Amino acid sequence: MTVSTTLTRAIVTADESGTRRPGRRGPDVPARAGIKARNRRETATGYTFLLPWIIGFVGLTLGPMLYSLYLAFTKYNLFTEPKWIGFDNFTRMFTEDPVYIQSVQITLVYVLVGTPIKLAAALAVAMLLNYRDRGSAFFRSSFYAPSLIGASVSVAIVWRAMFSTDGPVDNTLSFFGIEIGGWVGNVAMVLPMMILLAVWQFGAPMVIFLAGLKQIPKELYEAAEVDGAGPVRKFRSVTFPMLSSVIFFNLLLELINAFQVFASAYIISNGSGGPAGMTNFYTVYLYKRGFADLQMGYAAAMAWVLVIVVAIIAALLFKTQKSWVHYAGENR
Amino acid sequence: MFNIRTRRAALAAAAVTASAALVLTGCSGGSAPAATYDPDEKVTLDFAFWGNDVRAEMYDKAIAAFNEEYPNITVNTSFLGFPEYWEKRQTEAAGGGLPDVMQFDYSYLRQYSENGLLLDLTPYLGNIIDTEPLSDQILDIGVVGDETTGIPTSTNAWGMYTNPTLLEEVGVDEFAGGDWEDYNAWMKEVTDAAAAKGVELWGGTDYTGRIQNFEIQQRAKGEDLFTEDGEPNFTKEDLAAFWEQGDGIRTDGTVIGQQRLEEVNPLSGFDAALTASELTWDNFGAGYLGNLGEGYTELGLVAPPVTEDGAKDLYLKPSMLHSIAATTKHPEAAATLLNYLVNAPEVGEAFGTNRGIPASETQLEGAKLDPLGQQIADYEASISDRLGDAPPVPIVGYGTLEEKFRQIGQELGYGTLTVDEAVDQFFAEMDVVLNQ
Repeated sequence: MTVSTTLTRAIVTADESGTRRPGRRGPDVPARAGIKARNRRETATGYTFLLPWIIGFVGLTLGPMLYSLYLAFTKYNLFTEPKWIGFDNFTRMFTEDPVYIQSVQITLVYVLVGTPIKLAAALAVAMLLNYRDRGSAFFRSSFYAPSLIGASVSVAIVWRAMFSTDGPVDNTLSFFGIEIGGWVGNVAMVLPMMILLAVWQFGAPMVIFLAGLKQIPKELYEAAEVDGAGPVRKFRSVTFPMLSSVIFFNLLLELINAFQVFASAYIISNGSGGPAGMTNFYTVYLYKRGFADLQMGYAAAMAWVLVIVVAIIAALLFKTQKSWVHYAGENR
Repeated sequence: MFNIRTRRAALAAAAVTASAALVLTGCSGGSAPAATYDPDEKVTLDFAFWGNDVRAEMYDKAIAAFNEEYPNITVNTSFLGFPEYWEKRQTEAAGGGLPDVMQFDYSYLRQYSENGLLLDLTPYLGNIIDTEPLSDQILDIGVVGDETTGIPTSTNAWGMYTNPTLLEEVGVDEFAGGDWEDYNAWMKEVTDAAAAKGVELWGGTDYTGRIQNFEIQQRAKGEDLFTEDGEPNFTKEDLAAFWEQGDGIRTDGTVIGQQRLEEVNPLSGFDAALTASELTWDNFGAGYLGNLGEGYTELGLVAPPVTEDGAKDLYLKPSMLHSIAATTKHPEAAATLLNYLVNAPEVGEAFGTNRGIPASETQLEGAKLDPLGQQIADYEASISDRLGDAPPVPIVGYGTLEEKFRQIGQELGYGTLTVDEAVDQFFAEMDVVLNQ
């Protein structure tokens, strides 16, 4: 959560600082020294207003983060003093902890399979909603609702009941001759179920896609039509490039969110990460190590590995964006 | 000459001085006389327990009775399920904000005591906390190092519950006793009989998923799981041999499958009327009846299968203790509440055997055992020749190992781990836990 909010914030701040106020360079610009004094005053005022946020950031985010970085190199059980052990936590993770490796694997599957499907669903529904306006407010809200309630306890419980043996899903599939049985206790099916639960909450990226779609000038489609483009060609040549910046934004956000899946898995497995560790996602395992097993140093090390991996993936994405993301007003 | 009022004031002054002295010297040793609670002082205490709605109602009753006697002590209660309860306590402990009085579990007692998180109750024993109704063995349970940091509310023993209603339905007799092989055979008989009648029922759950069953098998050889010094007292071969006992019953469908168990989680197969037997602590009966619901009015309670004839494999363990946080601002009032919860006959009446067989004689007298409670008391009497000395206070991290054992048992059930892999995983975990 923190990572994504910080990112959003960073993006928003970048936007704001990018917009220059008009009229600043009018003829009544005061003398150089005046500008300096005024700038200083403005800066001071700015920082004063920022102060509550800065205090909060340093005290509640940066400070704890640095402390957790220190803890990552220690053995710490919450009660006694942390004991420095160097890189032991990290070597244990990759060489002596098969449960860790398993949790990395299922988290990667969840992220790499779930995110594209979720975004595709979000984009598809956004395009449908964009197609016509009648009743769109209703549909927009109904598709958005799962995102609001998706991480709640009640939904995870309902989900559990739906996918049990003889639950609605099992019965429906049996009706069509597909005999899977219950998904909840099934080692092979519980991960697909978790991915489905994530995809079902496509509302947030959908709303952003919808906003992006509304920005695409109608003339482009009309022009394409005049040139004889069909729906597929229109999507490839108009929608996708015009929407690429929004897709990039959603992709980044959803990837980061997916890595941090916790609440739904924790509730569906009653905190156990079961069956056979198949819902033992990275953060669930991290939490259990920290707060149930009191291996806070190890948990901190796990958290830092996650931060680094997410940062690398984000950096790679930013690198690739040159080749496929187009920003409006870009000089080409 | 003192009149009552000045005497009370003098007592209160003495109490304040004494507690101040205790605080100032940082002394919690046994020699300093403890202050007593001044009944006129208005105090609010936090009290936390693990349990469910049924137990919460019982505590409400108990605390209402307590408030009739001590109207100036307000008790704020809160409760959670067992795993969440401990997650919450661990974070509170790290932040220095434990509740004044807590229901405590044996497996965490050493960890909290050794880290100075629990109040040494020694100064209160014999004055605020009445020790008359508690036997020395009972009081010894709560001693870690030289300090008494917990008072057991009750005791329980490992046993085997059976479901007579379901057994009658499929037409199989109660387990007649015997060794583990006999038990496997009996479970198979139940499972087959149920299958023949088209009833969804199994003889039991794979017992190799519980560390207690391993423990009693080891104890039958005369060995506790851990030594007095906290070193493991079993080999990889011991553990592998134990888990291999489950191979047959897991694969031939004698016991309930993991998938079905996962679906009814957090209930057990026995709670959900899917198995006819379950090895567990003997105070679980009331919870089982509650979860089984209407139509189930009685349970069978028999001794676990025998590993070695004549071995002292079973033992009495505190089903729970009550402890006070070292950080409490009102140790006298907290001790007063603790004493009431442990000794008062009214509390015994409210709980029956919900917390196990009451450890305190006065509370046991008040408990007016219901049929199930009587059954448990009879059971504990019936296994007296199998009861040995209790193992040492569980090592720090025992709770983690117990949970790891359970999860590995689950994976064995799913077939996602081989026995050898399972043994390696458990020993790797034990290595980390013991070297913390």
